[in-house]
Amino acid sequence: MNYNDLTRKYFESAANAGELQGPGVFRGAAGDHAQGTWVQFDLQIKAGTVAAARFLAFGCPHTIAVAAWLADQAVGGRPQPVLQESVQALRERFAVPVEKTGRLLVIEDAWLAAVLPAIDYREGTHIVTG
Amino acid sequence: MPVYLDHAATTPVEPRVAARMAEVLSSETEFGNPASSSHGYGDVAAALVETARAQVAAAVGAAVHEIVWTSGATEANNLAIFGVAQYYRERGRHIVTARTEHKAVLDPCRELERRGWQISYLVPDREGLLDPSQVAAALRPDTVLVSLMHVNNEIGVVQDIAAIGAICARHGGAWLHVDAAQSVGKCPLHFASLGADLMSLSSHKVYGPKGVGALVISQRADLGGRGRVQLSAQQFGGGQERALRAGTLPTHQVIGMGLAFELASKISSVETARVAHLRQRLWHGLAALGGVLRNGSATRSVPHILNVSFEGVEGESLIAAIRPYLAVSTGSACTSAAAEPSYVLRALGRGERLSESSLRFGLGRTTTEEDIDAAVATVSQALNRLRQVAGTTPVA
Repeated sequence: MNYNDLTRKYFESAANAGELQGPGVFRGAAGDHAQGTWVQFDLQIKAGTVAAARFLAFGCPHTIAVAAWLADQAVGGRPQPVLQESVQALRERFAVPVEKTGRLLVIEDAWLAAVLPAIDYREGTHIVTG
Repeated sequence: MPVYLDHAATTPVEPRVAARMAEVLSSETEFGNPASSSHGYGDVAAALVETARAQVAAAVGAAVHEIVWTSGATEANNLAIFGVAQYYRERGRHIVTARTEHKAVLDPCRELERRGWQISYLVPDREGLLDPSQVAAALRPDTVLVSLMHVNNEIGVVQDIAAIGAICARHGGAWLHVDAAQSVGKCPLHFASLGADLMSLSSHKVYGPKGVGALVISQRADLGGRGRVQLSAQQFGGGQERALRAGTLPTHQVIGMGLAFELASKISSVETARVAHLRQRLWHGLAALGGVLRNGSATRSVPHILNVSFEGVEGESLIAAIRPYLAVSTGSACTSAAAEPSYVLRALGRGERLSESSLRFGLGRTTTEEDIDAAVATVSQALNRLRQVAGTTPVA
């Protein structure tokens, strides 16, 4: 399997891998280890923007790279009820084979599961632990 | 270049073999067609071919005239399976093989199935071993062939071919074909003692050139009064190789295989013990990483192959992470974007995820302790990182 430079870069660094805890953290996950793809996002919201973002991903290099990129891009922006780019655009950006589109949909589901409750968040009303 | 631990896939050509092949290729007297009996050039080439035939025969305990050259083990398997099936088609159309065979056996069997033959696929135990009684139970009056490998190419386990050969001989109608591509130079192999009727050999697994192999065809006539195994040719055109495999023989390839087999037969017990020690070092290093499962029997296997599955990581990511540093085979067949888990490991009862996250380490003559330690370090680093990214171990 060949990967483009962006996929290799984010797969190899995976700089934002991890979890967040505390006030203003919203967590969403989708997929299943047993099915080969599982993704989780943690978003920390402060003053209406994403102050920090982390991800965990069990999956192929494309899955890890796209999740890492989304977490990277999210910081500083307002939580939106969509991905920063469409699944199709992500597929092209990371040269994801069409057969792997389902894995991008898992990422989208995890992202939406994290971000949707965060959109109307007001400080002090939501805490994630553990 | 990454550390090469994929000797079960192929081996580098032994320098003495390469040198001899180059001599033949550039010679002004050894380039003749071995089938040209009308002049001395042909005689010289034919003599080289026959010397190589004797070298291969001696290395595997066969008679010289039992060796038929092919382009490799895949062609030898095809010739054995289709050749027997076609020749004995009026006597029976049932074949016994195993789910863990190489594709070069399974695909011909599936093609025969498509043409109306019936195939019984034996399932090994969780260690990858067949009980010879499974073969006995699968034999039917219309069984014409049993095709089983000696050493499994993915997990390295060694089947009890001699016991299976005895069962086939008692049956009287089932010929035994053995794919021994992984055996030569790695474990004792003596065709005459094996009880097999047909045996496939490969050159490039034994530090010889790619593109040449052989099918050993038993010429023993005293096998329970059933005579000698007969084959229908699958290739026509010049009557070479006793009309079983037509085509001009590639002299340089053949002499390369001959010398490679001669050298392999001289591998000392010291070298075998050295490789076995390296495999133990590798296994202990990997096992210490935690969540590492060994695939296949540890006791009934060649010392050159170690197959392990890793918990908590996805297979494609594992191979992508180690690929720059380590050349090994993965448990997935990445022939498409979506990898398929190893059917061999699945047959052993491994789940889909663990089958995908498996690696086959193939050790060889040039493998050193430093290579093994580097491999363990590479896998350790990849495993730790991917498990952290997957959340299957705490993030530091």
